[in-house]
Amino acid sequence: MSATDRRSGTEWLQLTLGGAIVCAMFYPAVWMVLSAFKTNREIFKHPFALPADWKWSNFAEAWDKGGLGGMYLNSLIVTAAAVTLTVCLATAAAFAFSRLEFPGRRWLYRLLLVGLLLPPPVVAIPLFAILRDLGLLNTLTALILAGTAWSLSLTIFILQGYFNSIRPDMEEAAMLEGANIWQIFRDISVPMVWPSMLTLAIVNTISIWNELMFALLFTVDDDKRTLPVGLIRFFGRYSTDYAMVFAALTITTLPILALYFLLQRHVIAGLSATAID
Amino acid sequence: MAGRNTGFQPISSGATNLLFVAPAMILFGLFVLWPLGSSVYYAFTSWSGYTKPEWVGLDNFRRAIFHDPVHIASYLHVTLYILGTLVLEVSFGLVMAVVLNSDRAGFSIMRGMFFSPMVLSMTAAGVLWAFVLDYRLGLLNSVLRGLGLDDWAQPWLSQPATALIAIMFVSGWRFSGFYMVIFFAALRRIPRSIYEAATLDGATPIKQFFSITLPLLRQQMLTCVLLAVTGGFAGFDLFFTMTNGGPFDATQVPATWIIRQGFDNNQLGYATAMTVILAVVVLIVAVVYLRVTERGNHVRY
Amino acid sequence: MTLVSRLAATCAMALLAASSALADVELRITHPISSGAGKDAFDKIVAAFEAANPGVTVKQIVFDDDIYSDTGLITQLQSNEVPDIYFQWAGYPMQRDAQAGYAGDLTAAMADGWKDTFIDSAFAPGSGTSVDGKIYLVPVSLDVTNTLWYNKSIFAENNLTPPATWDEFLAAIKVLAAAGETPIITGNNELWPLGNWASHIAARTVPAAEYDAAFRQQKTFAEAGFLKPLELMQQLAEAGAFNKDMQGLGADPAMAGFFQEAAVMHPIGSWLVGSEGDLAAPGFAYGQFDTPVIDPSLPGSKSVIGTMTGFIQHAKAAHPAEATAFLKFLTAQDQAILWSTSGAISPVKGVADKAKLPVQMKGMADMLAGADAMVSPPDTTYPVPVAEAYYQAAAYAASGERSATDALKWLDETVGAMPKP
Repeated sequence: MSATDRRSGTEWLQLTLGGAIVCAMFYPAVWMVLSAFKTNREIFKHPFALPADWKWSNFAEAWDKGGLGGMYLNSLIVTAAAVTLTVCLATAAAFAFSRLEFPGRRWLYRLLLVGLLLPPPVVAIPLFAILRDLGLLNTLTALILAGTAWSLSLTIFILQGYFNSIRPDMEEAAMLEGANIWQIFRDISVPMVWPSMLTLAIVNTISIWNELMFALLFTVDDDKRTLPVGLIRFFGRYSTDYAMVFAALTITTLPILALYFLLQRHVIAGLSATAID
Repeated sequence: MAGRNTGFQPISSGATNLLFVAPAMILFGLFVLWPLGSSVYYAFTSWSGYTKPEWVGLDNFRRAIFHDPVHIASYLHVTLYILGTLVLEVSFGLVMAVVLNSDRAGFSIMRGMFFSPMVLSMTAAGVLWAFVLDYRLGLLNSVLRGLGLDDWAQPWLSQPATALIAIMFVSGWRFSGFYMVIFFAALRRIPRSIYEAATLDGATPIKQFFSITLPLLRQQMLTCVLLAVTGGFAGFDLFFTMTNGGPFDATQVPATWIIRQGFDNNQLGYATAMTVILAVVVLIVAVVYLRVTERGNHVRY
Repeated sequence: MTLVSRLAATCAMALLAASSALADVELRITHPISSGAGKDAFDKIVAAFEAANPGVTVKQIVFDDDIYSDTGLITQLQSNEVPDIYFQWAGYPMQRDAQAGYAGDLTAAMADGWKDTFIDSAFAPGSGTSVDGKIYLVPVSLDVTNTLWYNKSIFAENNLTPPATWDEFLAAIKVLAAAGETPIITGNNELWPLGNWASHIAARTVPAAEYDAAFRQQKTFAEAGFLKPLELMQQLAEAGAFNKDMQGLGADPAMAGFFQEAAVMHPIGSWLVGSEGDLAAPGFAYGQFDTPVIDPSLPGSKSVIGTMTGFIQHAKAAHPAEATAFLKFLTAQDQAILWSTSGAISPVKGVADKAKLPVQMKGMADMLAGADAMVSPPDTTYPVPVAEAYYQAAAYAASGERSATDALKWLDETVGAMPKP
């Protein structure tokens, strides 16, 4: 009897303590959304109150003023292309590193791990020069290729760990039946790691969607800007129109938050399954 | 783990297998390794970005190491920041993983909410927190003034003494969810029977945490510390959006100082030299760390 | 992939050229005029130009000030698709662009009488628009980069009038601080807002030749006599002049704070007038006075700090003829008047009289006319790192973070470590 009591006592503690901390940490996001519906005056006079009058027009205004439509499209293009590239190339590479032998295997893998340790600002300047020489400066292609290259290390690293945790029995059996390596990869290995690929697609989507530095340095045209850059710019221009800034923040943040909550179970379960250990 | 323990058994070998890694390695080589290698050349030049690079030998390195106090201080700041993240991100994440480890209704959504700041872009988070921390109108100071604690209201991001600490807290808010997930995954794999046995022996939950949970999570903790350290050196977005190195360079970290010198002050050659230094420092730290922790990490349960 | 897209683009171009004999020209113009009345006026001018030149469309690539001067412009100049026309500050930036081969030589285009439509000082030596007699920058605005704006009603409540001397100024600050006001608000996280003012104060207290020598790294700042201006900054700090969060605040939020009556005075440039419409409540009464006379015995005691800004035609502009046509259009009487009315002082002859200037701008123009010297801001005159180091030293003294003596010592150590030009 006493054991059960104590357990529920602990659970109550978990619930209240956890709940309080989680609510406090989540509050800024709620505050952001609520403030987006207010007038500037209201934001300062009653920062914690609900909006007296829900001003939906703030969103339309922010959307138009900030030209957010075009930036949304750019962010979508860059993210979709870079994530697809990353996950496809990384799966092939991880498969090779864990299942195949080839000249320079260990050496190439170590080289790849270097990317895991380097912060992107380290190469910002020379990368800028290389993109210029390739004629890619100020193109979405630059963001896609650079974004992919910088996501590969971690993605390959995690996927390779996942491959390693599964015994290659199925692949070996198929090999004996005379299938070639490409068929084995396509028909056996990819379906096997499919859930992990999806998780990594989501994780990479979050990081590439939010990428700031490359986008800031490598693109200049209005029609090539992505959302994070647009947001910085929007904040600079309307830094004093607080309702406008919050509306823009909400518009740019809600979709990714919604996507995340929709797939939340998958992200956390996936990260757990492939947990980096 | 299993794969590593059983050793590497390829299903095929031969040079054609290189085709599977070639696309990834080409991209990686072109946009990660090549710039890294070429930076070594620019690091020995004086180069404004407007004119042609001019060879200056070791001048940039000499300046960076001996005559640039802000550059040296930026390593102090990033070290403090990393120490802060170990407490506010890794340790806090661990505690929250334990607190939120339950199958009861509501805990799954709470874990989701706890992780959600990770999903926001750094720009959005930076702008949001600029409003929270604003001296005159910010949320935090409004609360303090509302409680009658007028003296506690501070210009958080405007004074050297508090700016770095404020950034650490924002960083903790943002990244602790990530560490929580890693620890949570590991907690799930600890058999419940171990705790039940301990409970029967009369161990309190706190004692169980220190005598069972912590030792079993050693491997994850080592991983998390490595990620926090390398991630800390890579930290740019947070500092850029919140203070851009100010006030008075009190939050200047290597990445922000490199960008400031390179693009703001048109000293790309000098900035590249500092880049090379940063790369070397990070690699040394990582290698030393891996060497130290490689021994005896075979914890099983 | 690049090759394929290039091929596709080439094919598309060929098709276009074949289908319409008069291919459309897209003129690329990049600038940081991103908000307020200035943006509206510039958009109108662009629209008028497009209407007057069928077949030419103008593409504007706009950045905020800070991003434009940090990364926005250089990224474009380095890319393969350079802008035809770009905004630039007169002085050092123009000179650097001319040397690097980005700035196009407009001397020949100016020779047909275009040059004579500007006021004489626009191309005078030291105006920062030409190098070795060759003209590279078409001036569009004369900006006073720093003056003191004040809230008329709060001044009246405290029985204050615009001070004429430094002592009166300090006294007024003490009165305001005692009344619980924030006397001066500045948003100095980028260092130039206060730095500009501190440079103006330095130019009033340090002999011109010494001032120049220090920023050119020929003398230390201590030798040149920069202790005095830093001491004046320290005096302001001790009088409780500044907002507490000056080092974390942005320039724009500080301006908003001034319009929201969070402070009484705001030292910033003439562009404040252009933001009045966006930021001020109706009926907000404000005025302007120049930095008070510090030492009447020194030359330049009534100087004004300011610079010219304008446009450079890229040396490798894809459409040079259209670019020059646009610049002529922009500086023709009607357009210059339209531009000026948005809150700028035009260097085009006669415009200052004809434009319906806001009353604040009128005062600014009068101040310029009555000035005994023109000082240009260090960050557009000298190498940026040196200018920024002085700005930071001034911020040290003004925020009370370091004494004037320590700030000066820090400044000379920092500049001493920089490579000499």
